Amino acid sequence: MNVRRREVIAAYLFLAPFLVTLAIFFVYATARAVYFSFTDYDLFNAPTWIGLRNYANLFRDDLFLTALRNSLVFAAVVTSVQTFGALVMASVLNQRVRGLNFFRAAFYMPSITSSVVITLIFLWMYQRRGLFNYLLTQLLANLPLIGMFVLVLAAAQVVQVLLERARGLSVRWSDPALLVVSLVVATTGTTALVLLGLVAPRTVAPVDFVWLQTRQEVPGAFPGFLRAPVPLIAIMLQNIFTTVPTFMLMFLAALQGVPSSYYEAASLDGATPVQQFFYITIPAVQPVTFLVVTLGLIGTLQMFDQVAIFGNAVPLRSVITLAYFIYNRMFPGAQLPEVGFASAAAMFLALLTLVIVLLQRLFIRSEGNL
Amino acid sequence: MSAATPLAAARRARETLRWEARRRWARAGIVYVLMLLFSLVFLGPLLFATLSSLKTDPLEYPPRIAVPQLSPANWATAARLGRAGARAPLWGGFAPGADVAFQLTYFAPDGTEPAPPSVTVPKRRPGGGLGAVQAIEYAADHASVSPAEEVERRTGSWTVRGGSVAGTFVTYAVRVRYQGEGPKLERLPLDAVAPSRAQVFVRSTLPPTRLERLGLVASYNDVAPGALGYVFTNYRRVFAEARSVTTGRSLFLSWTANSFLIALAKVLTTLLLASMAGYALARLRFPGRALIFLLILFAQMIPGQVIFISNYLVLRDGIFGLASLWGQTTLLNSLAGVVLSGMVGAGAVFIMKQFFESIPREVEEAAMIDGTNQWQRFSRVVLPMARPALGALTILTFQGAWNDFFWPLVVLTTPEDIKTLPIGLLTFRNAYGTTGDWGLILAGAVMSAVPVIVLFVVFQRYFLEGVSYGGGKG
Repeated sequence: MNVRRREVIAAYLFLAPFLVTLAIFFVYATARAVYFSFTDYDLFNAPTWIGLRNYANLFRDDLFLTALRNSLVFAAVVTSVQTFGALVMASVLNQRVRGLNFFRAAFYMPSITSSVVITLIFLWMYQRRGLFNYLLTQLLANLPLIGMFVLVLAAAQVVQVLLERARGLSVRWSDPALLVVSLVVATTGTTALVLLGLVAPRTVAPVDFVWLQTRQEVPGAFPGFLRAPVPLIAIMLQNIFTTVPTFMLMFLAALQGVPSSYYEAASLDGATPVQQFFYITIPAVQPVTFLVVTLGLIGTLQMFDQVAIFGNAVPLRSVITLAYFIYNRMFPGAQLPEVGFASAAAMFLALLTLVIVLLQRLFIRSEGNL
Repeated sequence: MSAATPLAAARRARETLRWEARRRWARAGIVYVLMLLFSLVFLGPLLFATLSSLKTDPLEYPPRIAVPQLSPANWATAARLGRAGARAPLWGGFAPGADVAFQLTYFAPDGTEPAPPSVTVPKRRPGGGLGAVQAIEYAADHASVSPAEEVERRTGSWTVRGGSVAGTFVTYAVRVRYQGEGPKLERLPLDAVAPSRAQVFVRSTLPPTRLERLGLVASYNDVAPGALGYVFTNYRRVFAEARSVTTGRSLFLSWTANSFLIALAKVLTTLLLASMAGYALARLRFPGRALIFLLILFAQMIPGQVIFISNYLVLRDGIFGLASLWGQTTLLNSLAGVVLSGMVGAGAVFIMKQFFESIPREVEEAAMIDGTNQWQRFSRVVLPMARPALGALTILTFQGAWNDFFWPLVVLTTPEDIKTLPIGLLTFRNAYGTTGDWGLILAGAVMSAVPVIVLFVVFQRYFLEGVSYGGGKG
């Protein structure tokens, strides 16, 4: 009995510092946010109870609705693109090769570096005379070369596969050994054509696309709530860039656990690589997909840093998210803080995150059971 | 016939094997090439930003990969000029006794008579933004420039507006001397104006920072830079230019120190408190365990935007007035505030709990027989075994604290000295980004990323373990 009691006392002594922190900075903080969300409070006068009025006002606030639209579009696009992209990349790279550690470090680099550093670098690349517009210019100028390369590549591959099939070997259109030969042929072929002067880069005016200071929304044909402002797309690209490699490595780890005999058996039965991707790869990595989508949704719905750093380089309405809206109402600069209103928006964000994560959980579970 | 078939079959089988081996090799080759391409893409922005942070103007168009700052010949010249300017081959400068010799070569097409350029030391601010508000000494007030003297003349041809033109190359030499006594100045700017548009600038001892007015003016930010001063111009500016208005200390240094202090303090508190809490949750039996575990899961799900409102008020009031015990009325704008509110995270406790559950109980039971108390068993038996988990936790906590943006942005606002690196960089971006002065921003960003990258490269193994324990923080 004495021993038991001593164990209980020891346990609470061990837990005490953590419990105090948890109680003050999480439990009390959450409870207070809930309470504030039902009050009118500006930090200087005592809060007054106003019931659900803050929540009702949220949906009359134009900026809040814009922030909600931006957050939802951002989360939907970024989560789906990065999950699918990471999975495709992982299945392309799914090979037991040496030296993976070096590449792993390279792939982790964007996600371990702080979002501030990455955002500053991207902001610099999005300038009108920045790297992105330069690369677009180069791409447009070199289109003839790229087109020629693809053409020669396809032709060489088709010819080779047909020759092998004529010899009675069953080879696939994507056969890697033949592809290597085709790549060599395409590279030398294009170089030769350039040297002969038959193909040359075009002269194009430097691309002057405005990524930041613009109110343009794309795609223009879509209704308002399905469009995304160009600066928000700039942030999407950046976010996808930072998270794709990490998620790719998570998928890769899961894929390396899938026995290669599955793929060999499917291959013998005549399944194409695309079929193998949909019928073996996707079901096999389903638990990782769940984790990746959850992490992605939480991260994107609460996106804040990028908006704060883009700051006055972009129109606020085009990039504002729910998280930034809350901060903005709490610290509105020259005006009085709207603590109650900000709290209501914060509760809305928390519930929205919870609901969306639960919904996707149902969805992915049922997919997996099929 | 009966002999030929097995032979043919064997040959066929050999061929198939060789064919399969070829395919395997090809596939591995393609995978390596793709991996290399992917890592280039994902490292690309960081590498290109690092390279461009050396440029005087990182927004130059078209962007070049061959940066003059990376040419060893220029390093040697810069070191020689730095020695002439202030007997400082590394960091250069302009000090009493300086005698800097500088040469410029022009091309005068046939039909125009070559004439010396007019060379002056301009009064120029080092950059926009924060640096522009500080009082500085101008090199122009102490320098005297000798008239340009012709030292060499030879005929040749030069490409002017796409066509080759015959003419004369003329090289002029000027000397910039420090007059009398005075302070040591950090840089020596120079402007060389050609006598006419027809006379084309060709080259100079160091390449000009920029050519202005359609090539008429060759402008130099610093002609006595020293080798390091030449290569790391922007890096020097990061430290030198942005200074606190009140104390005059370098802001970037203060921010770095603050970031290190906060990260180290958080790592120490997290290691100790999370392993204590994790141990209790994993090993000890007590009422309320399930509730605490639920709270941990709940705390991990609450967005920072919900809790920051109350936490801001709690810090403003000095944690219910407790801060007055050590004489502070508020914990806003104090590093202690940032550390206290983030002493130990629920995620860290979760990681440690998971780890301690994986250690067999027998190890501890052996110690129990020896009659040790709970704390001794924890600190002498269990904790030393937890080294891999503690390693992972150290990396994750340090990285999280170092990169944290939202919470320091809320807590640390004034004065500028109290900020951490990430929000300090935001100050840089607001002060310099609007004037297009990106060199300094990029240099600051690159430097602030270094500690985490070093930590990651050295302790990659621990980092990956941390991801596998906690599932990562996204």
